[in-house]
Amino acid sequence: MSRRTVVGIATLLAVAGLWYLLTAATGWVGSARFPNPAEFGTAVKQIVTGGYAGARIHEHVLQSCKLVAMGFLVAVSVGLPLGLLMGWNRRAEALINPVFLIIRPIPPLAWIPLAIVWLGLGDGAKIMVIFFAAFVPSVINTHAGIRNIEPFLIEAARMLGVRGPRFVFGVLLPAAAPLIFTGLRLSLQASWTTLVAAELVGALLGLGYVLNAAAQDIFPAMILTGMVFVALSGAASTWLLGRLEQRVTRWRTA
Amino acid sequence: MSDIVFTNVARNFRRDGKEFPALRDINLSVRDKEFLAIVGPSGCGKTTCLRMAAGLEFPTSGTVAVGGVRVTRPGPDRAVVFQQFALFPWKTVAENIGFGLVANGVAAAERARRVADVLKLMNLAGYESAFPHQLSGGMQQRVAIARAYVLDPQVLLMDEPFGALDAQTRVVMQEELVRLARVNPRTVLFITHAVEEAVYLADRVVVMSRRPGTIREIIDVASVRAADSWDRFEKIEDVMDQASFVHLRTHIWRLLREQQAPDDH
Repeated sequence: MSRRTVVGIATLLAVAGLWYLLTAATGWVGSARFPNPAEFGTAVKQIVTGGYAGARIHEHVLQSCKLVAMGFLVAVSVGLPLGLLMGWNRRAEALINPVFLIIRPIPPLAWIPLAIVWLGLGDGAKIMVIFFAAFVPSVINTHAGIRNIEPFLIEAARMLGVRGPRFVFGVLLPAAAPLIFTGLRLSLQASWTTLVAAELVGALLGLGYVLNAAAQDIFPAMILTGMVFVALSGAASTWLLGRLEQRVTRWRTA
Repeated sequence: MSDIVFTNVARNFRRDGKEFPALRDINLSVRDKEFLAIVGPSGCGKTTCLRMAAGLEFPTSGTVAVGGVRVTRPGPDRAVVFQQFALFPWKTVAENIGFGLVANGVAAAERARRVADVLKLMNLAGYESAFPHQLSGGMQQRVAIARAYVLDPQVLLMDEPFGALDAQTRVVMQEELVRLARVNPRTVLFITHAVEEAVYLADRVVVMSRRPGTIREIIDVASVRAADSWDRFEKIEDVMDQASFVHLRTHIWRLLREQQAPDDH
């Protein structure tokens, strides 16, 4: 085990110890404000085995992951080509940038009312809100990634006679990959952030709904449970994206 | 015929909305299989000359033609070796060298053969699957030269290819280039600011004036090299010891010194 891992584990244990100390051991923080470890354990057991807010944990997690995946994938499959186009073509940039500059400062959650009016209370509205959140960082970073490619790399490719799709997939995208992946990470993060907020409104399933229901039930242990599962799901998806990045940019660590 | 012909070439640059001349009255022919070096003070437009032959920039007036065809865009018939190597960092050595062949539809079997040949020629065998960042500067530039050579181009355009290398590596690469030119003669346009390098490598050396760049003098090195048979020497320092070499070098130095801008002192 590396020194870093040891320190990391030690820190986590210290936080858990402090938690136990402040709640169960001394009672300084009461159960009505924050659950003690035992209450947390019970809540986790309840949602895993019996279910809470109408479903068991895996159904909530799957629903949330589905919404994030849909919103993220749609955002990336629109944002990446758009960023590429804006980075490569000055005319496209001049055309698209003004629209983008208007959309960009709108907080993603401000789209919720419009999304509900357009698409109702179902999954569509939530995916739309996640889309707007995830779309912006993927466009900006792809745009910057393309713009920051060393000009001599592009000249070398043209000199070699590389053009068309081979130029886009063999030169532009790999050269911009580090920044594109920065954008994807930010997009994914934004997707999870927005998901929870989007599910607070009119959802019947999902981690945001669990949090909402637990708040209404004044059930701190279940609130913490919901938060922990959001964190775990977010971390898992970030890890997956990291693996993909590692595969794609394998040359950097070779 | 793979010559490079500059006819009445002038090039203006635009800065802060004002046009100013960078190159003027360039009339120059690089002959078939000739190694021609251009030296000149920095900012004289020597790199611009090379970039116009490559099709990466265009003259404001006049024409540049390679093999009798006017240059309108970059292409694999005019392979460029860049000062910054310009290798694709995500591709291995073999992939970098083979990329131009892939792009030009060379079949896999022939591609593998040609890449292997050039790897051997450039002493790169064994490094096929290394990534550029794992190689020294000298090795990276070998890959860049191999990438240009493998295309079997009409002309080779080398833009201060050894400028980013340390002194020892530079000497090794210069000797390699001479060896390569003997095995496989090409029309080469070579830009440098190193006078010794130009005299050692080139058949003719063009000395340019400071901006706006014009051709100050063209020095015939090949006849001196042949008369004094520099080719009998293996090592660059032995060539550089010859009185004839020293004489040419000093002559070019004096021409360049005349071109120094007052604020260069």
